[in-house]
This record gives sequence, C-alpha cells and structure tokens, in this order.
Amino acid sequence: MFLAVLAPWRHAAAQDTTAPAARLPQPGVVQERSPTSRDNDLLVKAIEGKIHCTCGCNLDVFTCRTTDFTCATSPAMHRLVLARLDSGMTAAQVIAAFERQYGQSVLMAPPKRGFNWAAYVMPFVGLGFGLVLLGFIMRRWIRARPVEPLEPPAPAGAEGSNEELERLKRELEKFEA
Amino acid sequence: MADLGNIALWIALLIGLWGSAVAFVGGLKRRPELARSAERAVYVQWGLLFLASVGLLRALLTHDFTIEYVAAYTSRNLPLYYTWSAFYAGQKGSLLLWAIIVASFGSVALLVNRGKYRDLMPYVAGVVSVVVTFFVAAMVFSSNPFERLGFTPADGNGLNPQLQNPGMTIHPPMLYLGYTSITIPYAFAMGALISGRLDTGWIHAIRRWTLLSWLFLACGIVLGMWWAYVELGWGGYWAWDPVENASLLPWLTMTAFLHSVMIQEKRGMLKKWNLGLIIGSFLLSIFGTFITRSGVISSVHSFAQSSIGYFFLIFLVAAAGVSFALLAYRWPRLEAEAKLESMVSREAMFLFNNLIFIVIAFSVLWGTLFPILSEWIKGTKVTVGPPFFNQVNVPLGLLLLGLTGIGPLIAWRQATTANLKRQFLWPTTLMVLTAAFLLALRMSDGWAIGAFALGVFVTGTVVQEFVRGTGARHRLHGESYPLALVRLVGRNRRRYGGYVVHLGMVMLFAGFAGLAFKSDTEATLKPGQAVEVKSPYGHTYRLVHQGVSQYEQLNRFVSAASLDVYRDGTYLGVMKSEKRQHLNSLGRPTFEPSTEVAIRSDIREDLYLVYAGSVQGTEEAVYRVTINPLVWWVWYGGMVLVVGGIITMWPGGGGPTAASRRRAEPAGYVAQVTT
Repeated sequence: MFLAVLAPWRHAAAQDTTAPAARLPQPGVVQERSPTSRDNDLLVKAIEGKIHCTCGCNLDVFTCRTTDFTCATSPAMHRLVLARLDSGMTAAQVIAAFERQYGQSVLMAPPKRGFNWAAYVMPFVGLGFGLVLLGFIMRRWIRARPVEPLEPPAPAGAEGSNEELERLKRELEKFEA
Repeated sequence: MADLGNIALWIALLIGLWGSAVAFVGGLKRRPELARSAERAVYVQWGLLFLASVGLLRALLTHDFTIEYVAAYTSRNLPLYYTWSAFYAGQKGSLLLWAIIVASFGSVALLVNRGKYRDLMPYVAGVVSVVVTFFVAAMVFSSNPFERLGFTPADGNGLNPQLQNPGMTIHPPMLYLGYTSITIPYAFAMGALISGRLDTGWIHAIRRWTLLSWLFLACGIVLGMWWAYVELGWGGYWAWDPVENASLLPWLTMTAFLHSVMIQEKRGMLKKWNLGLIIGSFLLSIFGTFITRSGVISSVHSFAQSSIGYFFLIFLVAAAGVSFALLAYRWPRLEAEAKLESMVSREAMFLFNNLIFIVIAFSVLWGTLFPILSEWIKGTKVTVGPPFFNQVNVPLGLLLLGLTGIGPLIAWRQATTANLKRQFLWPTTLMVLTAAFLLALRMSDGWAIGAFALGVFVTGTVVQEFVRGTGARHRLHGESYPLALVRLVGRNRRRYGGYVVHLGMVMLFAGFAGLAFKSDTEATLKPGQAVEVKSPYGHTYRLVHQGVSQYEQLNRFVSAASLDVYRDGTYLGVMKSEKRQHLNSLGRPTFEPSTEVAIRSDIREDLYLVYAGSVQGTEEAVYRVTINPLVWWVWYGGMVLVVGGIITMWPGGGGPTAASRRRAEPAGYVAQVTT
C-alpha cells in the first residue's frame, strides 16, 4: 500500500543523473559541502573517532559531522584531520597535534599517562581488592563453620522405591507451593 | 489554576514538615496517634500535589503563557500528546512529577501495609514525607513551575523537536518511576534500622517494590536507548553520557540486591550488605538527579544550570550521612545467622556476582566523575567517552555474563564434583563449539567471540533448567510437556522468571557485541545515482536516490529524501529520511532542524539511513548509511527482560520462601500479617 502510494512520485522524481539537480524551495536544509571519497577513508574515520568535537555535542568528530549537519565545528575539524594527513603526519601525530592545540579534553578518552592511569586502573584495582576481601571473608566464614556430620551418599544408580518417589512428589509440591 | 497550584505547593510543604516531624517523634516515643497523623500527612501531601499537577496540566493544555514554564516548553501548534509530555520536559515540571510519584508510591505503600509492620511504618511515613518535602521545597524556593512572566507572549517557545517522539512520552516517566520507587525500599530499610527490627520482615515488605523499581528502571533505560537510536540520528543507542550512566548506576546496585537478598532470605546472611545496597541505590538515584540538574558534568541531557544542584548536593550528603551512621550504629546487630560452607556454592557465586555488579557500578561512576577529579587534582580537563567505558566495562560485563550462567546451576550450601559435571557438561561444550565455529568463520573481534560464546553457554544453562524441570514434572505428575512447563513457571515464578531475565540479558549482550561490526558510509547522490554498501554478512545493499520532496506537516516544514533499496539485486522497498524545521504558530522557525532517520530492521542487522541535507539547496542529497548488526536483539532482549521481571513479581507463586518466613516469625511479623 505504502509503495503503491509512493510509486508515481518515485517515477516522477527519477531524473537524468547528468542533468543539474533542481533547486529546492526554501526553507530547505542546505549543505554547503559535498562529501568526498576521503570522508569514508577508514584511517580518517578511525582518527576522528578518537577526537572529541568541541561544539558541545559530546560526540566524536566523525559521529558529529555525520549526524548534526548544522554543526560547523566538526567539518572544520575534519578538514584539519585531512590537511594534517596530507602534510605527511601519521595517525598518532595527527592526534597528538590536536591534543597540543586543544588540550587533553579533545581526546575521547584520557591518554594513558600520568594521573590518567588512575582512570583505567582503578576499576580493576577495585575488582582485585574486592576479590581479595571476598576471599578473606569467605575463608573466615568457612573456617568458623561448625562441622556437621554428613549423611552417607546414596549409592550410585539408586532409583528409590515407589513409596519414596511418592514422598518426594509430596515434598516437591509443598516446596513449590 | 496557577495560583491554586502555587498555594497547593506551599501547603504541601508545611504539611510535609509536620508529617516528617511527627512521624519520627511518634515512632521513637511510641505514640500511635502521632504515627497515624504522619501517615495522613502523606495522603494529604499526595492530594495537594495532585491538585498542583492538575493545575500545571490545565495551564499547559490551555496555553496559559503567563506561566513561564508553559511559555518555555509549549506552543499553540504543538500536538496535544506532546503538550501533555511537556509536563516533564523541563526542570520545574519534572520536579513536580518526581514529588507526585513519590507521594503516590508512599501512599500506596502505607495503604497496602496498614495493620502490618507497625514498628516500621511511622519511619516509612517519615522518610517518604522527608523526600516529598525536599522536592516540594526545591520547587517552592528554586524552581517553581507556576512562576509567572511579567507579560503574556503571543506564543510559546515550543517543545524541543528531539523530544517530539513517542519514546519521549514514555521513557522519562518510566525512569522517574524507577528512580522514585526506590524511595519505598529505602524508607523500609531506614525503618528497620531506626526501629531495630532487623530480621527479614522488612525484606518481605519491599520485595515487590524493589522488583517494580528495577523493572521501571530497566524499561526506562531500554526505551531511552530506543529513543536515542531513532531520534538522535548518530547511529547508536548508548553513548555513556553522564545522564545515561546515572540511570544505569541504581539499576546495577538494585540488580545486585535482587541477587544478594536471596541469600538473606534463605540463609540469614548478608544483612549489612543488603542494607548498604538499598541505601546505595537510593543515593545513586538522587545522584542521578543531581547530575542532570546541577550542570557539574557536561551532558547533552542536562537541564538549564541553576542553583537547584546545591539543593540536591546537600540532600545527597545529608541522606548519605544519616543512612550510613544508622547502619554503623546497628552494625553489631546485623550478624549473619549462618556461615558459608563452601567456596563452590550458590551463595559464593552470588557474592562474586555482587562484586562484579558493584565493580561495574564503580567503574561507571568513576569514569563519570573522573573529569571533575582530574580538574580538581591536576587542573587538567579530560573527556571520558565511549572508548574508555568500553575498554573498562566490556571485560567486566563478560565476566558477569559468565556468572549469569554459572550461579543458578550451583547448589546451595555446597556443590559436589558430580553436581558440577552434571550441570555444566552440555553448556560448556556448546560454548566451546560456538567459539570454535566463530573462529573458523574468521571472526576477528575477540570480545565479540567471547560475548557470543558466553551467550550460548548461559542460554544452554537456562534451557537445561527448563528442560529438566519440565521433565521432572512430566515424570512425577504425568502432565503433558506444555502443561508441565506452564506449571513449572507458575509454581516458582521467582526462579523461572529470573531465568527469563537471564535470557533477556543474553540477547542484550548479543546486540551489544554486534556493535563491533558496525560500519558507516557517507554519500552524496543526485537523483538516480546510487551507493553500494557491504554488510558484514557479505551481501551488498544498493541504494538509489529518488529525490527530495518538501511539504508542511503539523507544526513543521519537512524535507524528505527517499531511496530505493536493493539487497543483492532484490528490491526491498523505499526508505525515507527527513529533515524537519519546526515552526511556531506564527510560521517562524523554532529550534535547529532535526533529523528523522529511516531504519530497515531485521533479526540480523539494521540498515540505518540519515538524510544529512541537500548540497547548495538542490535535490543532490547527502546521506550517511550505517549498517548496524544485531540491534534487533537489543530491543527484543529488553522486552524479554521486562517479561521475565513481570513473571518474577506476578502475585502468587513467588512469595517469600519457607526459610525466609521462618526467619521472620520470631520477630512477630507473620503473626501480625495474618491477624
């Protein structure tokens, strides 16, 4: 049904790809730029995924420039990434250059050095500390447990009599209720 | 109505102060008439807040733009259902919603438990009164929703377009319900600590409340993820934003509590820990509200910064101080009634599971607060975004997923080698085979392989439990297999509902693992031009740009771009993504243009399409095409999780265990309940 309604419109919209695209009435959603094949470059995407857009969106540059198309900051940062790669910088050098320019806050995660190590290490220190503490407490609890005589285990393969099965059935019903 | 609402808030404040005072005096001095007065004060507060809420709703629906809140969040051409949701779109309205929900839950808790837990109830009423009064005071002194403007604007500002989504009509109330309902377990915990009735009675009273709160939070979180996915257009559903993290924190601690409380019920252990978890969950819910409203941490969700953050900070510190001081005071009386018998037991596994939950909660809190810490200590601003949280939490999450499978299969008290072999043989074999299969397929992401393999392991353990339980009923009772399955679940809803929740978690983890294979492509297309995108499953999507149409619709001007979609040459249909420029009733643009994404979803992957705009205002369109594998599993996993939660808390078939009832008997609760 949906496709049937759209069909005439779809055919009307299909145009010669060589002809210039028609102008849209305003207010349209105007893009001043046209993406190039380099915008899909995996290296560019990877670098931009590590750089925080400074427009206040809390997204990385790649996500921001491909989401909020009214943002002027992320396209500018994207152009800077391309220019730095063109100048012969490696990915690490591009990221380092952004850090020098904007400070550590331009990186999507704190760089692993100095005090920032605390961010990465603390959760695992917490886990280790918790495991040691838990182990210590559990050992103390187990040692403090009074020794109870264990009933001899049932012989392997014991099936039980009908009477025992009936009793088990009654007990299970009681337990489930 | 605005004046009436304002007056109602002031009276609610005074009644709340009275109720808070007489509740504690009545409880401590053992004066029932004061305790009754405190309970009535909660009902009256509810009535007054209901009146204030009706007042605000009426102002919103009648476009009373003399009220600042109405002018700030609505406009004359805003559809009715979104006008309704403007109630909680802003800070002031959401505070009123918080207050009315706490008062409602408090009133229900007092009504349901009238005649029960008499030693605890004055303090329960007191704590509810204090929390409600705090929110009313925050409104009256800092963020009054009935504040008037000095003039009457012709039209209001309207609602943020990103909030004009069906998900936003449900997601925030669900989260508020989750946050606020934690107040009831917290109030009972405080009641137990103040009154000294520290047996399992208070645990019975809060069991359903805790589940309810957990369920609301789970629903709120999943709906929030869905809203972010369909509305924000960035191609994901979880950005580790501080406010998202804030909603996850109490959910994690509540989940830990739902596991550890079983040990207290069955063995009389972990009393201190369980009280600590309830207190922690309540404090984290207030902390979440503090983060949203204080502006101390940069977040896309933040309300406008205001002095209200200080209110929450003071309340948070005071509540933490009082709660932990009480816990310390009662510490010697909270000794365990039993001891652990083996490291290889259900109790020990639940302790490990609790540890992992708490470490995950700690890592999320730590990452959320680290920017502040870094600035304080080193004077360096840092950003802690998804790369950090994923790096830290993925291994912890997988550890937790593994324990999800291990815990339920290990016997209480002590597991034998034969028991372990019998329980783990098949699930472990399936896990190893899955990992080998994925490696043979040359899957390169180790974490994803781990997630899928552990997912299969947990699924194996759950299926095995259902199969064995159903088989046992079939043999013992002679029931048909379907009937045996239904009765198995019906007779022990708590246990089997929990297994369903575990299945939901497996589905969620599978969805999360799919993110490792996400891909994005940007393309600029003239009408008739196409772009091809490779799926990680090997097939190729071909998207042919059809053109851009523009039209006015409701309160917006729409530019819609359409593409014909083919998969490996087979026509799949049309996808349409929109840019919307919202307009006020005078036809003037309000807010920045927003994006409506197009999503084609199936069990394997989502084709996610964003129309970015048109080049120089022509029909040449810029698109982002994202392939998002396994997102379907996140939404359905969320649903399964909620269904499991509902089964667990469904009345009957899942009440306190016999051991837990025996533990409550010496305190006289059972006798009081039945009289």
